[in-house]
Amino acid sequence: MIAADSWIHASVRQHWRWYLRLGIAWYILSLLGAIGPRAPLSPQQVVQTEHPHICVHTRLIDEVWEWKIQRTLQLVREMGATSIVEFFPWAYIEGTEDYYDWEPADRIIRHAQNQGLTVIARMGLVPNWARPRESTLNELPEEAFDDFAQFVADFAARYAGAVNQIIIWNEPNLAFEWGFRQVDPAGYARLLQAVYEPVHAANPAVMILVAGLAPTLEPEGSPNGLNDLIYLEKLYEAGAADYFDGIAIHTYGFTDPPEAPPAEDVLNFRRAELLHAITTRFGDDDKPMFITETGWNDHPRWTKAVRPAQRIQYTLDAFRYAEANWPWLDKLCLWAFRYTMPTFSYPDNFEIVTSGFQIKPIYYAIQDYALGRETGTSLWLPAPE
Amino acid sequence: MAARARIILILFAVGIILALFIVPNLPRPAPTPRELFPYGEMRIAIDASNPPFAVATTDDLFGLEIDLGKALADYIGIPPRFVNMSFDGLYDSLKADQADLVIAMLTIDSMRSADVLYTRHYFNAGLVLVSPPDQVISKMDDLAGHSLAYEFGSNADALARRWLRRIAPFETRPYELPAYALDAVRLGEADAALVDRIAARLYLREHQWQAHLNTVTNNWYPIAVPINQPARWEALDKALKALDENGTLDQIIDRWL
Repeated sequence: MIAADSWIHASVRQHWRWYLRLGIAWYILSLLGAIGPRAPLSPQQVVQTEHPHICVHTRLIDEVWEWKIQRTLQLVREMGATSIVEFFPWAYIEGTEDYYDWEPADRIIRHAQNQGLTVIARMGLVPNWARPRESTLNELPEEAFDDFAQFVADFAARYAGAVNQIIIWNEPNLAFEWGFRQVDPAGYARLLQAVYEPVHAANPAVMILVAGLAPTLEPEGSPNGLNDLIYLEKLYEAGAADYFDGIAIHTYGFTDPPEAPPAEDVLNFRRAELLHAITTRFGDDDKPMFITETGWNDHPRWTKAVRPAQRIQYTLDAFRYAEANWPWLDKLCLWAFRYTMPTFSYPDNFEIVTSGFQIKPIYYAIQDYALGRETGTSLWLPAPE
Repeated sequence: MAARARIILILFAVGIILALFIVPNLPRPAPTPRELFPYGEMRIAIDASNPPFAVATTDDLFGLEIDLGKALADYIGIPPRFVNMSFDGLYDSLKADQADLVIAMLTIDSMRSADVLYTRHYFNAGLVLVSPPDQVISKMDDLAGHSLAYEFGSNADALARRWLRRIAPFETRPYELPAYALDAVRLGEADAALVDRIAARLYLREHQWQAHLNTVTNNWYPIAVPINQPARWEALDKALKALDENGTLDQIIDRWL
């Protein structure tokens, strides 16, 4: 033991400079490892598009690496979309009461602005301190409405000029999205009321949007949710019209083409027209509408999916149909541009770019449409005979 | 006194060694089906929106995974009960104790490894190269100078584009449907088709065509069990192995694909 100690001491005395250099080199290398790839802002970019209503729903808030946020938004811009819808969870930003961590939101907004994209912000998810124990992240108790309103107001003030529309909550007509409670249009109307004035006081220019309702046929009294058409009617009856400036819509095509006629008992793309008709009935059709989730899925087995070629055709036809027939529509946002991680199931087949940045053919088709480069030639060969 | 203390210490150490290394490795009786499935039935979470693996009618469920669930339950000796839900709820159903296992075209997801255990796979749904018997193309490297048919916009399309950058040029022939890509090979318009194994098997069965299938990518479907149920996982994995070895699994797959 003594001999070993002596050997170590002698070695350190003799080679201390080398040990010092080794230590410094190790320290520098460890710092480099922690930095990771950088994502410096590029010169200010501008979106090139002939169809400014093209928009996509991104999922960037869970992205770890800033360069992936930047790359995603570059691809969005290069595809010809002018806007993104992005989720900014209250629970992430104000995880501790009155302590805000804006960095995850800041870097998304920073890169979106740099790419020339406008941002429609969706707000939701309740932090632990603002909800009952054993509740889900989607349960917002009425006594926490003012806390939520304050958070949204702070958000609106911080991103004034960068975020022009804020969606309050998500699909409140589903029990799951309403904290596994019975859905409550009147309760949601009170939430809009609680939010409206503080947010406009913080940022008069921002628009408050009613949450996109889930397209569903659930009847009244169902424990799972409520038909979106009925829910919107009840929202108006509860006096919510004074507390929002625009309407977000979720409408999916499923297996129908975009031109398929709407009906109250059918879920398809033109269900948006039935929702618009309700706004007309309540004298509120001067407010702009934003389709913040739409699209087709091309999973090879899922019964609500279409083939990849159909998905491309239906998506382009949906853009054309909306532009030609829906003057009340401001943006048409596809779900979803790219996930942070794959789900390994059919939701992955809503993506336009994979989580690994593999660009799907639908991306190029939308890009050609956005840039007016459509040649009219078929992208696939005729069936063999 | 010191000698007694030393003996006690030695006995204590021996006890610790026995407790840590020997006792846990003693053979234990296999858990009973009732211990593995405490609700007295095998609650199997499925997503019955994926034919031919699981489909729901108004009053019935059928498909490859339904038959597999029944065969597993029969092997273990407990009645099955199928719990139909959408993909979003499958993993949560294990966490919320609404199901004992999931059989639903799952792919191993490393992000779930803190929550679930996966058994061996019961099917490989990856991409296959399909070529005629008289001109077999067994791997992607052999495509140079040949023509490849695939479904436009599919995973096969993406893979074909990647291989175009890796080997000498080959002709790409995109079609609207995987069946058209397979038609192209059968009718001599293309040398090979790249489709998933499910599409290939269904096509070959429908057309009674003896083509060669060679695996290009793997997409294995395992069964998922809650991570806190290793005995249940072991029993299901053994049952799946037994069904594979005695030919039952192949019979089920042949019935549907």
